[in-house]
Amino acid sequence: MRFDKSVGRTSSRRGHGPRERVLAVCLSSTLAVIALAVAATANVAAARVLNVRDEGKLHFISSSGSELLDEGPAMGSVPGKVRVHFVYDGNPAVSAKFTIYGHSGSISGQANARLSNPTSPAPSFRGAFTVTGGSGSYAHIHGTGELFGVFTRRGYGLVVQTIGKLPY
Amino acid sequence: MYIFTSFICQNAFSRGSTTRPRILALTLPLALLWACLPGAARAATTATMSAAFAPDRLGAATTVSFNFQIAAGERAPDLLTGINFRYPANLGIATSGLGVASCPVAELEAHGPSACPPDSRMGFGSALVEIPIGPEIVRETAQLALIAGPSQDGYVQILISATGESPVAARIVLSTQLEPGDLQIAVPPIPSLPEAPYVALVRMHFTLGGNLTYYERVHGRNVAYHPVGVGLPRSCPSGGFPFAASFAFLDGGHAQAQTAVACPRGR
Repeated sequence: MRFDKSVGRTSSRRGHGPRERVLAVCLSSTLAVIALAVAATANVAAARVLNVRDEGKLHFISSSGSELLDEGPAMGSVPGKVRVHFVYDGNPAVSAKFTIYGHSGSISGQANARLSNPTSPAPSFRGAFTVTGGSGSYAHIHGTGELFGVFTRRGYGLVVQTIGKLPY
Repeated sequence: MYIFTSFICQNAFSRGSTTRPRILALTLPLALLWACLPGAARAATTATMSAAFAPDRLGAATTVSFNFQIAAGERAPDLLTGINFRYPANLGIATSGLGVASCPVAELEAHGPSACPPDSRMGFGSALVEIPIGPEIVRETAQLALIAGPSQDGYVQILISATGESPVAARIVLSTQLEPGDLQIAVPPIPSLPEAPYVALVRMHFTLGGNLTYYERVHGRNVAYHPVGVGLPRSCPSGGFPFAASFAFLDGGHAQAQTAVACPRGR
């Protein structure tokens, strides 16, 4: 195809009759409709991605050996309450299972992180989390993200920040 | 794992005693004979151990005490070169809040535990060593301090400072890394008197936690507190909490010991 400046419309090198032009218009219209439909679907999907950027300040509830249970408020994109089972057995590779209880449902997952400077009063850790399930509006949530945190060794409190995009 | 030793050797025979040459003349052949005997030809070295929690309540914070003893019948015990302690991995040692500061190894070696931050103290204990002097075996008790050392690769380092005063004045610092369910302690050769056999470690007792005082800054002031101690799991395995240790000796021999802390009653 090329653009014919003299007539201000497209034309083929070899030329086409009226029937071909009608067919071309129909085909273009169909493709446009399909493209619009795909775009609309994509917009709906984009609307159902939870852009997580949350912070939880958790306090100690109970412990069982090397496992701590902490709870506290979560603030950010999923405000609510968060409950974390945090395991630290001497290996700097710490792990946790968490559940966030928001207004529209809950989100559960697990996290693995690496703790640094373990003999400081408040060692920090950094790692990744994976969402394993949810309920309510988040029944189909999944995905992964990053997490950062600080573990207070005096009172067993945790401050955790999470960042991620979670389709649901 | 690395080992640092520093020795300040003094002894009762180093100040012009005329008995020293005779003692050395006796000691050296005996030491050589002892070293040349194959392990099997001598009485087997045995090891026993025990462990305890105080208080002994599931789910509570506690202190953990270990004891071990090495025996070789009538003769001098083999020289210990390493101990590998195994403890239940879900014991809350790392989450104990013990050792919220660290002490540089050089500082501990040079000046002893008193030079370390109080918040680095994790426990205490004692060790009994035997020093063959001629036909006799002299015993000496050393004080142990368990100190948090600078972390390597994110693991907690526990430094064990052993200080003895008489008849051999010495301080050694052992370094061990806290790993889940495992604590390996390398024991260096501990010299005693010049040209005399090394000191043999025959008994050790140490406690993690206990009567420790830490300090934290609150509104610009140092406020004292007691760290809570090691957290016990809420459930107890059948047969109790298992502990084990293997001991390696200079002649290549090994000894094993194991014990269990019985499940607390109730709860």
